[in-house]
Amino acid sequence: MIAAIGRRLTGLFATLLAASFVIFAAVYAAPGDPAVFLAGGRDKLTPERLAAVREQYHLDEPLVVQYGRWLWDCLHLDLGRSFQYGDQVADLLAARFPTTLALVAYATVLFVVLGVGAGILAAVRRGGWVDSAVVGGTTLAASVPSFVGGIALVALFGVRLGWFPVTGSGEGFAGTVHHLTLPAVAMALGALAVISRVTRQAMVDAGAADHVAVARASGIPEREIVRRHVLRNALGPIITMCGLVTAGMLAGTVAIETVFGLSGIGSLLVGAINSHDFPVAQAVLLLMVTGYVVVTTVVDLVHPLLDPRLKAVRSPA
Amino acid sequence: MKLRTTVAAAGLAGAMALTTACSGADTTRPTGAGATADAAQLALTPTTAKAKGEVSTVNWLLEDEPDSLDLDTQGGSAGRTVLSNVCERLYQLRPDMSVKPSLVRQATGPDDKTLVLSLRDDVVFHDGSAMTADDVLFSLRRHARPEMEQSDEFANVAEMTRTGDLEITITFKQPDALFTKALAGDAGLVYNREQVEKAGKEFGTPGRPDACSGPYRLGDWKSGDSIVINRSDSYWGEKPLTQQVVFRWADDSAMVNALKTGAADGTYADSISTAAALRGTKGLDQHYGPSTAALALIPTERGGLADPDIRRALALALDRAGIARSGYGGLVEPWATPVGSGAWGYEKEAFAAAQKQLTGAPARPGAGDIAAAKKLVENAKAAPDKPIVIGTDSSQGRLVIANAVRAALQQIGLKGQIKTVPPAEYGEFYGDKEARAGIDVLVADWYISKSDPIGFYDNGLSDSSNNWIGFSSPDYDSKVKEAMRTLDDKKRAALVIDVQRRFSEAALWIPVAQTPTALVIDDKLTGPPASMAYLYYPWAAALGAK
Repeated sequence: MIAAIGRRLTGLFATLLAASFVIFAAVYAAPGDPAVFLAGGRDKLTPERLAAVREQYHLDEPLVVQYGRWLWDCLHLDLGRSFQYGDQVADLLAARFPTTLALVAYATVLFVVLGVGAGILAAVRRGGWVDSAVVGGTTLAASVPSFVGGIALVALFGVRLGWFPVTGSGEGFAGTVHHLTLPAVAMALGALAVISRVTRQAMVDAGAADHVAVARASGIPEREIVRRHVLRNALGPIITMCGLVTAGMLAGTVAIETVFGLSGIGSLLVGAINSHDFPVAQAVLLLMVTGYVVVTTVVDLVHPLLDPRLKAVRSPA
Repeated sequence: MKLRTTVAAAGLAGAMALTTACSGADTTRPTGAGATADAAQLALTPTTAKAKGEVSTVNWLLEDEPDSLDLDTQGGSAGRTVLSNVCERLYQLRPDMSVKPSLVRQATGPDDKTLVLSLRDDVVFHDGSAMTADDVLFSLRRHARPEMEQSDEFANVAEMTRTGDLEITITFKQPDALFTKALAGDAGLVYNREQVEKAGKEFGTPGRPDACSGPYRLGDWKSGDSIVINRSDSYWGEKPLTQQVVFRWADDSAMVNALKTGAADGTYADSISTAAALRGTKGLDQHYGPSTAALALIPTERGGLADPDIRRALALALDRAGIARSGYGGLVEPWATPVGSGAWGYEKEAFAAAQKQLTGAPARPGAGDIAAAKKLVENAKAAPDKPIVIGTDSSQGRLVIANAVRAALQQIGLKGQIKTVPPAEYGEFYGDKEARAGIDVLVADWYISKSDPIGFYDNGLSDSSNNWIGFSSPDYDSKVKEAMRTLDDKKRAALVIDVQRRFSEAALWIPVAQTPTALVIDDKLTGPPASMAYLYYPWAAALGAK
């Protein structure tokens, strides 16, 4: 187990290193000249001023040298200073990450509870009207892009009915929940269809196993069968899918944050890319990649714990 | 601004003399428009009615989170909107866009190249220490450092010295008419030296105190969330009615929603579309004030509009009233110069009269204008044989302008082609010659920070980096430089009006419309200025209950 975790960690670091270089190169290659943004007002964009700015921020050095400088600082736990804000990148991330994390966590709770619930319901009532309603409803929900759903939710529950605030992330637990409900619902809607479909299919597959038939024949109550034999065996794919969707959400809060006026990681990234704020864009993207890799790794590690069969197959004799 | 129809305007060139019954300021529009406002009916007022009652907290929206609250390293309108209430300057830009001494008690000029500033003796910084000449000198020298935002304002300064306990003497290489105006802007911010040095690199970043004197002190800046300013009880001047202002920021649509639902009490709408979307909303008042901002077309060095006759023709054929209506909800006003009326900080009547005399940019081209434009194109020495490429980003207003330009070109027998780029790339058009290499004309907006039009017209100097087409006229250059050296307002105004006429005649830039400042505010509140002065004037100090 420890060796497996060690292997995972090594892989994780290798992935991050490779990702950091790719991200660095991509941000560097994005169209636009950061010096133009760093120089200040439009009336100051003389070639001399631009050259001075490039030198000041080391933008005149080759890509590899800049990357090396960044990596060296990074290894010393220094993510640098934002070009745009002049503030420590770490401080910027620390201020905005909680909002994004809370949003993703809230959305995850919503789609897991509702999505898995709907999937189970559909599987148990397979072929009936409940099944059709779940499949139809979730398909409809998934076909609406999250930001469109967000705008509709704001228009109805925020502006028209006034039940929920339309901007900001709120203070305290109750305030945060109140402020983040609409954005979390908007984000969860798209995931509902995927999760409910996967849950339904996994349950159907698990329900077709021989031992379920045996259990059923021996007169164990249906509720017990679903809980102990079908759901238990179906959990693997469900958890994997939930993990992947959550990981994807970490990188996909941009549109929702914009619609709901939330200052999270997503809106920070968009601003950083638009103003060519290299250190911030690099750090945010890396944080997103890290989040994705960590979540998927955790899912991978948890998976065998849930399903003893996988463990048996993987352990050497 | 009153609606006025100029029946006959003084002709500039022979061809333009044909264009009677239209002038740059003519904003006459046919009746029966839809829900859009009529810019001509929008009274541009510098201030709102005086407030009477106290208010505990006001929630204010910014277009964006300020980059930094150190305006020397990162200027921006969001940061200025906050700091104008916190940090006082040597001079003050008043709501009517005039400039008055502020932290300076009295200024004298023994000769044209010397400015002696006597400082007030009752000014106290937020940390309780008194403002000294040393603080002022430190601040001025900081602003003047080459890497700082305001360094160009100090180009004519030879020396700045402390000549008394509360006296600073500034000597100039040549007289500088704009210098005291710059001191009403960010170049005149006075910092507490001790606090700035203590904060070092962190000065202006979240979680740091301010280093200023002013009616409000910086409370808490929670990065990514909000900025709070609180009434300063030790303030030496008049006590503000509003105790606390909480700033948050939101994009266009989130801003509209927040104001509609009462989550925010007000904003200075940077984007006029926000104001347009909120027109007629119950519980909200809107006020429009003079600003120096204007929409314009800037021809590039690529040369599609190199011939001045072609530029004049395009200026004559452009439907500015149509652009104002369909691109900006009627909230911008067709205008004949590339700088808004907020730039008239002195000699307002003279500037207003001169603006109306410019006939090269009609609000809505009449048959005469089109005929004159066609003739200009026919007689042009170098009419472009390829389509004129119009550069813009995809924002609604700019796209409408781009389409109107294409339509105008088509009307006068030329071809236009629109090139739309993402916002980041659009920003580069202004600074990067190579980025502009693919376009002939840029759909642009521009404003100047000082309320003096000469601060704009230096863009036409032969050696200006913003003179993209390489316009070169020794006469123009000498007139601009003379105006910049002329300290007497009346004389300078006459020179500026002459310069403005030359700029317009050469159609260096093609003016489209002036953009007012839009203040959207809860209808129970009043008091702040509606003009562009809010970027430099302590507007929240005047804010209170009706």
